[in-house]
Amino acid sequence: MEHLSLPYITAALTSLLGGVLACWKTKQPRRVAVVAAVLALICFLAAMHESGTAGQGALHDPLLPCFVADGLNALPMAFYAALTLSVMVLAPRRDAAEKAPGGMLLISLAMQTAYAAAGWIPMVAGWWLSCVPFALGMFGAQRETRLTSGIRLASCMALTAAVLCLGSASISDLAHGGRLVFGLLILAVVFRKGLFPLHAGVVQAFEHGPLLPKALLFNGHLGVVLVARAEAAALPEAARHAFDVLSIAAVATVGIASLRAFAEKKPRRLLAYLCISQASFMLAGITSANAEGITGALTHWLVVAAASTGLVCIVRALEVRVTSSEDPLMHLGLAAKAPRLATFFLICGLALVGLPGTLGYCAEELIFHGMLQNHLAAGIVLLVATVFNAINLLRLYNTLFLGVLPKHVINIPDALPRERWPLTVCVVYLIFGGLFPSSIIGWRTDAAQVIEKALGAAAGGH
Amino acid sequence: MNLKILIPLFIATPGVLFLALSIVWLLGGCVTERTMARITKSAYAVLALLVIMTGWRMRVDGLHSVRVMLGDWFTVGHYGYPLSLLIDRLSLLMVGLTVVLAGIVGFFSVRYLHRDPGFHRFFMLLHLFTFGALLVFTADSLDLLIVGWETVAITSVLLVGFFQYRPEPVRNALWVFASYRVADLFMLLAIFLAHHWFGTTSWEGLFSGEWPGCQSQMQGAEGTVIAVLLVIAAGGKSSQGLFCGWLPRAMEGPTPSSAVFYGAISIHAGAYLLLRIEPLIHQSWIATGLIIITGLATAFLGTLVHRTCADAKASLAYAAQTQIGLIFIEIGFGWTTFAVIHLVSHATLRTLQFLRAPSMLRDYHRVHAASGGKVSPTGSLYESLLPPALQLWLYRLALGRGFYDAIVERWIVAPIQAVARWLAVFEPQSPQKQPAANTPAHPAESTVS
Repeated sequence: MEHLSLPYITAALTSLLGGVLACWKTKQPRRVAVVAAVLALICFLAAMHESGTAGQGALHDPLLPCFVADGLNALPMAFYAALTLSVMVLAPRRDAAEKAPGGMLLISLAMQTAYAAAGWIPMVAGWWLSCVPFALGMFGAQRETRLTSGIRLASCMALTAAVLCLGSASISDLAHGGRLVFGLLILAVVFRKGLFPLHAGVVQAFEHGPLLPKALLFNGHLGVVLVARAEAAALPEAARHAFDVLSIAAVATVGIASLRAFAEKKPRRLLAYLCISQASFMLAGITSANAEGITGALTHWLVVAAASTGLVCIVRALEVRVTSSEDPLMHLGLAAKAPRLATFFLICGLALVGLPGTLGYCAEELIFHGMLQNHLAAGIVLLVATVFNAINLLRLYNTLFLGVLPKHVINIPDALPRERWPLTVCVVYLIFGGLFPSSIIGWRTDAAQVIEKALGAAAGGH
Repeated sequence: MNLKILIPLFIATPGVLFLALSIVWLLGGCVTERTMARITKSAYAVLALLVIMTGWRMRVDGLHSVRVMLGDWFTVGHYGYPLSLLIDRLSLLMVGLTVVLAGIVGFFSVRYLHRDPGFHRFFMLLHLFTFGALLVFTADSLDLLIVGWETVAITSVLLVGFFQYRPEPVRNALWVFASYRVADLFMLLAIFLAHHWFGTTSWEGLFSGEWPGCQSQMQGAEGTVIAVLLVIAAGGKSSQGLFCGWLPRAMEGPTPSSAVFYGAISIHAGAYLLLRIEPLIHQSWIATGLIIITGLATAFLGTLVHRTCADAKASLAYAAQTQIGLIFIEIGFGWTTFAVIHLVSHATLRTLQFLRAPSMLRDYHRVHAASGGKVSPTGSLYESLLPPALQLWLYRLALGRGFYDAIVERWIVAPIQAVARWLAVFEPQSPQKQPAANTPAHPAESTVS
């Protein structure tokens, strides 16, 4: 067993936990949370660097060997830490007051625990931990609906039941799992990702709950992590059928969410459908069982996380500026007052739906290739859904930013400096990542090839 | 200078300019009108120089085509996304046309949009458009062509919605975008099917020899399917056939953008694609028939509606649609040289007409005065030969613009929305909304009445 040179993962998780505890008492929780997020980011970047120089092999944490940095999780951990930091900086003051920053750090801690997990116990712990901030009401008066919390709890219970049925703490023992185990795992993913017909849970979460923590939770994509870990464990034939079912569910969700959005006008709900549809591309790609599709899915993960977080943060920034943006009866025309926010929104959105020149295009291109190789009809559904999503994105953009400025909007600030810098970094990442995608895709290719080999070995073995 | 450097250089120049200007603006920087004008004029002068150098170099070296391989954009396993550029007689002509006409429009717009709130936005989008158009005309594969193709589309849509404070441009921009995206779907399908069946989308892999005498390598039903998909995609870009409704709506943009997009370059991109894949079209009677019927139907409707349009730009749009319909027919009949001459002359004339459109009344009065008040009305000769009942029917058809919008609304938009609403049966009813936005905590965030 190889180890990291220093306990980077332990240090990162400790700094997040310390941040949560410190935020509980301090009068300036945002500042404390930002410091904790920066420390975690530095530690995860160091872990990623070591994993990269070691050929992306699995490097265990020297202090807590149940945590590991490998090709699959090293980049997402650093990326998620950067995302947490961005959300912390971008959050409007009312969303970064009292216990809210601590809650967001707790979500980050939960996600990172699940990402870094080398076995089932920390993975399950991470899943359950992600429910805690909402259960404790750390985000003030904005409560979520029963459906949303019920679906999240169900996903955790399904995963716990699967692990109990498996009777082992090692992920590699999944190769000996029975149908029940895989059925429960698939259920956990369906619940977690909000696949059709459970997508309503995610939509309600976006509509009613606190938006920024929901964006962090949504962009953890723990369902994809679980599928990738499971696929890398050389699955038996029964599991491969189960993952085919998952693939069908993902493609159905992509199509249905993109179509359903046409009947929607509220920005939060429209955004939710867009995010669900685009995020489901990942599951469709990762279950395509070839290197192109899996690499595309793993790259799309990074695109959806960055772009949808950008979109959510901008929508929230508009909501605190103009309360009528929550349920606009007409076009709001806010581009006249906030042209930079409009531009950030448009670029993030276009990257999300895969406009050429952005990283989203490269990711979707690979997913389409992967899907068309194995499932031609499913690939065509994905193509049609991309078209629908792009149209819905422009509808959302038009509603928020174009049209006649309402008379009650006298003056609103454009992107504030604390908003401008993180959003510029996000946009530069999406565009330059799209213009020069080799390094990002190269990093994800190694992880994808491990999964493809494992799937190939499993198929050969049976 | 070496052609392998020249060609990527003139394609990258407007793209780099767009990126640099955008980042400066996003970070709060400001470029004055005068600086922007100087940058634009210099950029197009340099581009023109580079294109002339490319043409001169090719002539001196006796080259009919040059391929520049820039390696793979990205690779995964055995799959690579090749970055390869091609300059041949067709590409060079289109590149030259783009640089000259976009440059003229850029020069014109400096004064036309003086002190307009969207001055900078217009020029940034013009640079992005030039980059996209150059990429379309120099792409050596369908994979790379669609990158430019979609860049041109999004730029076009953003310029249709340029006057964002009016509801009509916003609505029409969405319509144009939807039309483009649906048409692009056919292009994407063609690309993926070409990969699936033939393992490549590069011109070199799909056709043997040099344009215009090349031969198609795609045979059989697969070749026909790809040809038909590409004809439909080209129709979408050039507002032909099923997609004939978006062009008049696109006239909401500022006049210079209408000139460069719908008079000059973007609208002819579809015809360029058809010229490029001409051997593939001619090996399939289905694709040949489709292109001729599409062109004929659009030209007929376009010329009919053009005569009843009350506004100058919509009238020009339908006139452009008619001429491109004729170009499609020429390509369908295999009259390649004629089609190319028609394309270039139409693009040039139409740009002039669009740019003169704001001064049309003044021009008319000048002509009227010069002719001593004896300007006779035109366009009433051929119609009078038809039976009166048919004249009336055609007049109603033209006034309703072929009832295109009503048909699309009723048979495409309404059913999609009905299905979308029906899908709500899978979702439990959402509870009553809680007040999400609390009392503002910071004065900077509460400057809303």
